[in-house]
Amino acid sequence: MRTQRVKNVAPLLDPADPGWRTVPVEQVSMMPTPLAMQPTPYIRNSWEGREYGRVTDLAVASVHDGRQWALRASWRGVSPAGKDFPDALAIALPVRGKPVLALMGAADAPIHFLRWQANKSVVASQIAMGIGSSARGPAITCSAQARAEGDRWQVVIARPLGGAGDLAPLVAGRKTGIGFAVWMGGNDERGGIKAFSIDWAELALDA
Amino acid sequence: MSKRQVAMVMDLNKCIGCQTCTVACKTLWTRREGMEHMLWNTVNTQPGAGTPHGFESMGGGFRDGVAQPGQRPSVEDFGKAWNFNHEEVFFGGKGEISLAADGGKHGKGPNWDEDQGGGEFPNSHYFYLPRICNHCTHPACLEACPRKAISKREDNGIVLIDEDRCKGYRFCQEACPYKKIYYNEVEEVSQKCIFCFPRIDEGVTTACSRQCPGRVRFVGYLDDPEGPIWKFVTKHKVALPLHAEYGTQPNVFYVPPLSPPKIDDEGNPTDEPRIPTEYLVSLFGNGVHDALKTLERERERNKRGEKSELMDLLIARKWLDMFGPFQKHPRDAARNRPIPQNQQKPRAPQQQVSEIRFYTKEEFKKGGRA
Repeated sequence: MRTQRVKNVAPLLDPADPGWRTVPVEQVSMMPTPLAMQPTPYIRNSWEGREYGRVTDLAVASVHDGRQWALRASWRGVSPAGKDFPDALAIALPVRGKPVLALMGAADAPIHFLRWQANKSVVASQIAMGIGSSARGPAITCSAQARAEGDRWQVVIARPLGGAGDLAPLVAGRKTGIGFAVWMGGNDERGGIKAFSIDWAELALDA
Repeated sequence: MSKRQVAMVMDLNKCIGCQTCTVACKTLWTRREGMEHMLWNTVNTQPGAGTPHGFESMGGGFRDGVAQPGQRPSVEDFGKAWNFNHEEVFFGGKGEISLAADGGKHGKGPNWDEDQGGGEFPNSHYFYLPRICNHCTHPACLEACPRKAISKREDNGIVLIDEDRCKGYRFCQEACPYKKIYYNEVEEVSQKCIFCFPRIDEGVTTACSRQCPGRVRFVGYLDDPEGPIWKFVTKHKVALPLHAEYGTQPNVFYVPPLSPPKIDDEGNPTDEPRIPTEYLVSLFGNGVHDALKTLERERERNKRGEKSELMDLLIARKWLDMFGPFQKHPRDAARNRPIPQNQQKPRAPQQQVSEIRFYTKEEFKKGGRA
C-alpha cells in the first residue's frame, strides 16, 4: 500500500474532496475475528451462530505532505441511528518489535490504534499490548471527517508524521505495517466482535 | 475466590415498601450525570414485573456452569427518570394546565405495578422484594467482561466495576441474570451497587440497611458464626437466595414471607397460605418449604413464651446487632479519618439546594460543590 506524497494534505481531510480521485485506492480484505479468540466464554457462547464482521472489503487510499498523513477508508455498512453501539473504524500501526495484529500486540511489541466512531468527532489514540488491554495512547493531534452516502461510509483520519515513544512511527520514505478493524454498531458489534484485516499490509510512504 | 464474603439478609416479612432504602442509595451514590434512571436499590411488588421490567426472562447467568446469552435492558426497561412540567404548572400563567410526566408521554416507571400483586379477591396478595446487586460468588458480569474491568474484592467479596477500564461494551449487562447493572450514557461506563464499600471499609453498614425503618436488612460476613447472616443462612436455613438456578451463587438472601390463610368459597380460612408456596418456590427454590415451616414453628414457640433464637434475631430488638461487625456510625467513622491536605481549609458556605440536581463526576467528588 502506497502513501502518495502531495503538496498539501489539508483539502483532502474532507472525504468528498475531488483530490482523492487521483490517489490510488487499494482493497483490503476483512474477516470476522475468530470466535475462538474472543476473550470470555460469555462472548463466545452468546455470539455462536450469530453473524458479525460482515464488512468484507475496505477501500483505502492515503497521502502525506511531509508533515501530515491522511488515510481515506470507505466501506459498505452504515447502521441505522439510535442503536446502542456506533459504527467505528480503527487503524493499527506497529510501535516497535513485531506485534501480531490478531493478538493486538504484546508487552514488548505494542500497537498504536487511531479509532474513529460515528457518534464522536474526535479520534481516540489507543495503545494495546494484547487482547482486551487497550488503554489511552500517546497524545497526538488527530482529526477525522466522515460522510455516510447511502450505505457507504467514507472516513478520512489524519495525524502528523513522525513518531516517538508509544507513537507509531510514520516517516516519509520509510515502510511500516498497517491493519484495520471495522465495527457495525447496528449489529451490536463492539470490542472483539468486529471485522479485521487478517495481517499487516505493507505501508510505504513516498519520500 | 475471596477470603471472606459480606452478605445481606432481607426479611420479607418486614418490608413495608417505603423505598427509604432506595432513596438512601439514590442520594448517596447515583447523583452524577447519566445516573438519573439508576436505582441501584429497587423495591418491587411481587408477583410483578420487577425492575427492569421482566428481568427474569432476559437471560444471562449460567446453566450447568455454562454462560448463557442474555439481553441488555434499555433505560425504558429500567424505567426512565421522568421530567415534569413544574415551570409551566407553577409559573406558566395557564389555569388549565396540569402536572404531566414527559409531556404525558411517559412510559412505565421503575415501580409502575406497585401494590398490584396477584390473586383474586378475597385471596389477592402481594409482598415487597427489595433488590441490590447480589455480589455473587460466581459473578456472570465479571466473567463476561473482556476488559477485566470487573473484580471481586479478596477481603470481602464485593464486586466492583473499574470505571477507568470499562469501555461501555455492556457484556456485563447481558450476562447478569438479575439485570442489576446500569449503563451511564454520559460517562459511557457501566455502573452498579458497590455494597457501600467505602462505608464497609470503615466498619459502617450499607446506607440501605442503616436507613431501613422496617429493620429488614441484616449485614455481615457469610462465615461469621457470631453474626446474623450465618445464623439465618447456615444455622436456621431460613434465608434463601433469589433464583439460585441462575448459577451465580448470589450473596443476598431472603427470608420468605409468611401469609394469612387462603379463604374458601364460603369465606372460611383454609390450610393454604394466601401467597402460593409454589410462587415462592419459583423465586427462592425448594428451601422455601422448610424455611416457612421453621418460621411457623419458631413463631409458635415464641407465642408459647419459649425462647427462640431465630425469632429474637428476626425481631431485631437491638438495631445495631443487625449489622455484624459494621456497627459504626458514619459520622464517627468520618471523624476518625484524617482530613486530606487539599480539604484542610474553611469550607465555602453550602449552597441552598432545593431541587434534585445531577452533578458532573468532578462536582460529585467534591461533595456536590461546583
